[in-house]
Amino acid sequence: MMLAGLRRLANAVALIVAVVLLNFLLIHLAPGDPAVVLAGEAGGTSPETLAAIRHTYGLDRPLPAQLLSYLGQVLHGDLGHSYYFDASVTSLIWQRLGPTLLLALSAMLFALMLGTVLGVTAARRPNGAYGSAITVLSVVGFAMPAFWLGSLLVLLFALRLGIFPTSGMESAIPQTGFARMVDVGQHLVLPTVSLGLVYLALYSRTAKASMVDVLGSDYIRTARAKGVGPRGVTFKHAFRNALMPVVTVAGLQTGALLSGAVLVEIVFNWPGLGRLALDSILRRDTPVLLGILVVSSVVVIVANLLTDLAYRLIDPRIRTGVAR
Amino acid sequence: MTDTMLPRPTSRRAGSPARRGSVFVALLRSPVGLAGILLLAICLLATVFGPMLYRVDPIEIVGRPLLPPGAPGAPPLGTDEVGRDLLAGLLNGGRVTLLVGVAAAALSTLIGVVIGGLAGYLGGWIDSALMRFTEFFQVLPILLFAMVLVTLFQPSVGMLSFAIGIVAWPGTARITRAEFMRIRTLDYVRAARAIGTKNLRIMLRLVLPNALPPIIVISTLVVGSAMLFESGLSFLGLGAPGTVSWGTMLGDNRDKLAIAWWTVTLPGAAIFLAVVSISLIGDGLNDALNPKRRKR
Amino acid sequence: MKRRLAALLCSVALFASACGGTASPQGQAGGAGDTLIIGGPLEPRTLNPAVQSGMVTALPGAQLFASPIRYGKDFTPMPYLAKSWEFSADQLSLTLHLVSGATFHDGAPITSDDVAFSLESVKKYHSFGKPMFGSVSSVETPDKETAVIKLSKPTPALLLSMSPALLPILPKHIYGDGQDLTKHPRNVKDVVGSGPFKLKEFTAGNRLVLERNDAFFLQDRAKLKQLIVKFYPNSSATSTALEAGEIGMEISYDPVDADRLAKNSKLTVATTGYEAAGALNWLELNTKNQYLKDLKVRRAVAHAVDVDFIVNQLHAGIPQVAPGPIHPGSPFFSKDLVTYNHDTAKAAALLDEAGFPAKADGTRFSLRVDYNPGNDVTGKNVAEAIASQLSKVGIKVEVRNAPDFATWSERVSKYDFDLTIDTVYNWGDPTIGVSRTYVCDNIKPGVVWVNMAQYCNPTVDQLFASAAQEMDVEKRKQQYRDVQQQITTDLPVVFIETQPIVNIYSKAYTGMPDGIWGAMAPFLEATGAQAR
Repeated sequence: MMLAGLRRLANAVALIVAVVLLNFLLIHLAPGDPAVVLAGEAGGTSPETLAAIRHTYGLDRPLPAQLLSYLGQVLHGDLGHSYYFDASVTSLIWQRLGPTLLLALSAMLFALMLGTVLGVTAARRPNGAYGSAITVLSVVGFAMPAFWLGSLLVLLFALRLGIFPTSGMESAIPQTGFARMVDVGQHLVLPTVSLGLVYLALYSRTAKASMVDVLGSDYIRTARAKGVGPRGVTFKHAFRNALMPVVTVAGLQTGALLSGAVLVEIVFNWPGLGRLALDSILRRDTPVLLGILVVSSVVVIVANLLTDLAYRLIDPRIRTGVAR
Repeated sequence: MTDTMLPRPTSRRAGSPARRGSVFVALLRSPVGLAGILLLAICLLATVFGPMLYRVDPIEIVGRPLLPPGAPGAPPLGTDEVGRDLLAGLLNGGRVTLLVGVAAAALSTLIGVVIGGLAGYLGGWIDSALMRFTEFFQVLPILLFAMVLVTLFQPSVGMLSFAIGIVAWPGTARITRAEFMRIRTLDYVRAARAIGTKNLRIMLRLVLPNALPPIIVISTLVVGSAMLFESGLSFLGLGAPGTVSWGTMLGDNRDKLAIAWWTVTLPGAAIFLAVVSISLIGDGLNDALNPKRRKR
Repeated sequence: MKRRLAALLCSVALFASACGGTASPQGQAGGAGDTLIIGGPLEPRTLNPAVQSGMVTALPGAQLFASPIRYGKDFTPMPYLAKSWEFSADQLSLTLHLVSGATFHDGAPITSDDVAFSLESVKKYHSFGKPMFGSVSSVETPDKETAVIKLSKPTPALLLSMSPALLPILPKHIYGDGQDLTKHPRNVKDVVGSGPFKLKEFTAGNRLVLERNDAFFLQDRAKLKQLIVKFYPNSSATSTALEAGEIGMEISYDPVDADRLAKNSKLTVATTGYEAAGALNWLELNTKNQYLKDLKVRRAVAHAVDVDFIVNQLHAGIPQVAPGPIHPGSPFFSKDLVTYNHDTAKAAALLDEAGFPAKADGTRFSLRVDYNPGNDVTGKNVAEAIASQLSKVGIKVEVRNAPDFATWSERVSKYDFDLTIDTVYNWGDPTIGVSRTYVCDNIKPGVVWVNMAQYCNPTVDQLFASAAQEMDVEKRKQQYRDVQQQITTDLPVVFIETQPIVNIYSKAYTGMPDGIWGAMAPFLEATGAQAR
């Protein structure tokens, strides 16, 4: 058990190193002088700036030495310098990480909770009207571009009905404490639904399918034979087992979730990493863009570790270390 | 955006060579698959032949901006925020989206099958190494990575397909690996190995054909995801410059939704329908290729 | 297990009720009583109008800093920090009598020393400090409440140059500490001003919060308790927020949208305002570009651009055609200038003549066009229209996006551009806002809205210099007519149209700044509450 945990951890660290390595590769594979790539357009191409970049990144040294120093830098939390803002990339990303995590987590929770409930309840009569509706939802959810859905939701709920704000994370008037939480909550609803719908579709379908499988298994048949009522079967015996594939899928989707957040942030003018990433592209502020890539990969890796943990908590076989 | 591959039960059928003709017939027989094929056919016909019949340059400004469909003097579907013909945009824009979708899915399938196949068939340390590699691509936030690629290497249709294809394959690899692992233990594969058939030949001639059904299903779905990706990148303004795509149209006109619904609703609906058609075909294929499900 | 599921369902229900139970967010968001929220692509790089021209700085700048003189509905100067003033008989000296007992936000008295310091700072650092105050030889301070401005030559535009947007009175004890004023840390935080509002909060990418200065020197301090500037990425998002009641006012540069919003019964679209701005929307050319340095190419571009389409189709005929560097509404505007009709054949012939024949694919060469971001209709859309028009004569044009004003200004001010759409203000008098974009000694790398075309013609310099000190209106008109002819001959800029600037606000507000400077003047009278 301990050993397995340590192995997961080592694996995670290896993945982070690999992401950093990829970044390094990208800087050097991109056409043109790496110093110019890093300076972007923003810092201008003044010789002093370029010299400073060459020095910071050690671009005059042999490649392996450069790689080593770059790795060391990143692992110390130094993601480089934005020549556009004249500020450290880490601090810029840090300001924007919170809003993105808030959006991603709330979309994830929305999809997981509602998706599981929908899927599990639909599994009782998989081919009934309700069950079929879940299937239709999954097709619609898969094909619905989040940025389109977001725009439509703004039109309907913000402009026509006036129920939710049109954009941003909070109102212009400064607020504090609980009032601020409520305010942010209101701003969060439409982006959460836009980002979460595709996962809602996915999780409800996964939950439904695995619930159908579990309900048809010997284990449940035994329980039924022992006289456990239909509710008891659904919730006590089957639910836990049916939840596992959902957790697995959820873990696999963290990267996609962050990708989706980029688009939703643009639609809702949400002050997160996605907005910063796009702005950095338009500004040619390459260090910030690459920093965001590293940080969001780390977020995915951490999320995967957490999924692993959740899996262990749900599945008693893994928890007790009994091999399958 | 989503690179979501809807997980579907993989085929558990004992290895008999795939019968392509009958699969197509089965696909046509399943209502879901037929709906998908019809929808896709409409999309394809419109984008392939549409621009030949409706010869308006989608980039050219043809009139006053934001003319609603049916307004006097307006093009059939109105104009966008600059005064470009929306119908011309829809007909031409689908080309890029569909092309990138197919090209990216082809690349992704190639990478996924090679990596998944080698890992599944060879096993051992090669398997774990390749799976680590796959895992690495799974932790990259795909859209961000594609954004970085098109930024550093100038966007073009080819670059877009590459950027999407290079990140969309882990799902394919996992499914291929699982199939290869299962099939390599079957008797006829063992027999082939026993008589000294070369590994490469076994993989290509015996294992791959029988592993194809789930691979075809997932590749189909990757086409859908890739189209969504292309739309997403174009929506962000990172599409191939000088080309019109549904995503670009949506991104450009996004702010005009409240006052000119058609500029945003129509390209969005086009993306939606095209991806739905792919998704339905995927579902239909899954049913057709999977006898266990077909029986149900 | 059962209990856990119940909890799960409960939290789902909670989530759902949180979604449904939010009665009316715009009620609080719109700005309850005494608060006004102005929204727009208005994020400034600095809050100090002494070092930066333009609306985004002038709007908060005019609230934070007072100036000697202000203007209301017309061009009649009104007392402000100067309770009265008089010119000497020879027009070479102006005496300002300051309000007594006026203080800065930190409580320090505002004295004639501060006026002298501020005027010198603007003259030195502002992108058109020289055209405005170049003739000021010294500022004498006989006592703390009297400032005497000595001039080397008559300066007809002097009083207008003392408006809040152009001559903010800065506390010398804060900003005169020897640091480079353009990069002074207190330009963006802990601002100590002299105006009717104090800085409370400035959050990058989000908002600027100003609160009333209760110790303001005017008897009637501002009526609003709080003035908030909320930043949006573009004008469309701003209009959306205004219609949804999330903000109380927007400054619209989008003529088509203003036309549409005029039909909204909850909104007032002001019919006056910004007469002093004299804003023009134009296509500026980088005259050092390898193609554009050739006058024939610039003329070809002018012939290829379809001004009529832009004004009458793209912008629904709402702006006016502006054929030259001076706003058609100005008394100094001349019809007697060189014009370029839309003629693609002529453009093609000029390009052939210049030695850029069409290649096999029809193209001759490629250029990039930038645009001042924030107002898509007059920026991006014009850029796209021009790209489409130039492609017809074989010039392939790539429209380059910028995410924000800072990125665009960085590019164009460092000459990393070929063509750019830009909105530039005449600022009331040609001396102030016109000459700056054409005279040779105003080619200043890194400064936006100076001579970014890097155009230089001594004749033009000469004409501008003499017109700036000519007190005879008819003679001035003559000189400006000649300037307009020369500039439209040399074409550092392809002139397109006027840029209507319009205040649009909720009907709940009154006393809004619809004077000649619009929102670049102190919000003293504005009051109202957002209807819930």
